[in-house]
Amino acid sequence: MEIKVEKQEAVSVFKLNGRLDSNTSQGFEEEIFSAITDGSKQMVIDFKDIDYISSAGLRVILKATKALKREEGKIMLCSMQDYVKEVFEIAGFDAFLPIVGSMDEALNAF
Amino acid sequence: MAKKAYAFELKNDQSELEHLCHKCEELGKSVGLSDKSIFEMNLALDELFTNIISYGFQDHREHIIKIKITVDDLYLLMRIEDDGIPFNPLESETPDLQCDLEKCQIGGLGIHLIKKMMDDVQYQRIAGKNVIFLKRKISPQPEQGMTSKK
Repeated sequence: MEIKVEKQEAVSVFKLNGRLDSNTSQGFEEEIFSAITDGSKQMVIDFKDIDYISSAGLRVILKATKALKREEGKIMLCSMQDYVKEVFEIAGFDAFLPIVGSMDEALNAF
Repeated sequence: MAKKAYAFELKNDQSELEHLCHKCEELGKSVGLSDKSIFEMNLALDELFTNIISYGFQDHREHIIKIKITVDDLYLLMRIEDDGIPFNPLESETPDLQCDLEKCQIGGLGIHLIKKMMDDVQYQRIAGKNVIFLKRKISPQPEQGMTSKK
């Protein structure tokens, strides 16, 4: 999986490409937590080019969401394929994670 | 479509996940499964495989996990067999879905996803092996006119 990190003003945008599974989740976790350590409190994770996620990927998103909440930060997820979104719904994560259709909507939430 | 069966083996090594992914895509494309069905097949097998290699073996030897997939017009049937310690993952606790963020625990999430996503999941201990049977209705290709929302 490729991870591109961009800054849009105060917001860190993570653009993921590929598969978020137990082989790749650790690299993603390191990337996201290094941003949190560097003081990022607002994050968008762009799922447009993610065609696979497993519980290992969900676990990283959950950990990051909890960490950001402690910092009074905020995370937005955007542009998921239907079947990727369905995994978040089945896991019950859509109850506390804002998932929106587009990058614009995600950025406008801050 | 006539019934078609495929079988392959994975070693108990994390790196085999990639092999599993290729097998799912190759097989799914060869019988014309939708992306959604390929995704569901891959996710279910990934979660079970990851569970087996994480908890199933107490020695440090190589083990073989056998996977058999059968596809017909309506259903995807999967059978996963390992020679690890007796373990029925279906008995693991279901995570509390009404939880709020702070209390939300991640344990058993993979198995929970499988139970919710598949139409039927069975465990049997057969001749010293753990065997799991999965059944899932095939989702049609979206571009073939009538799409079905689950």
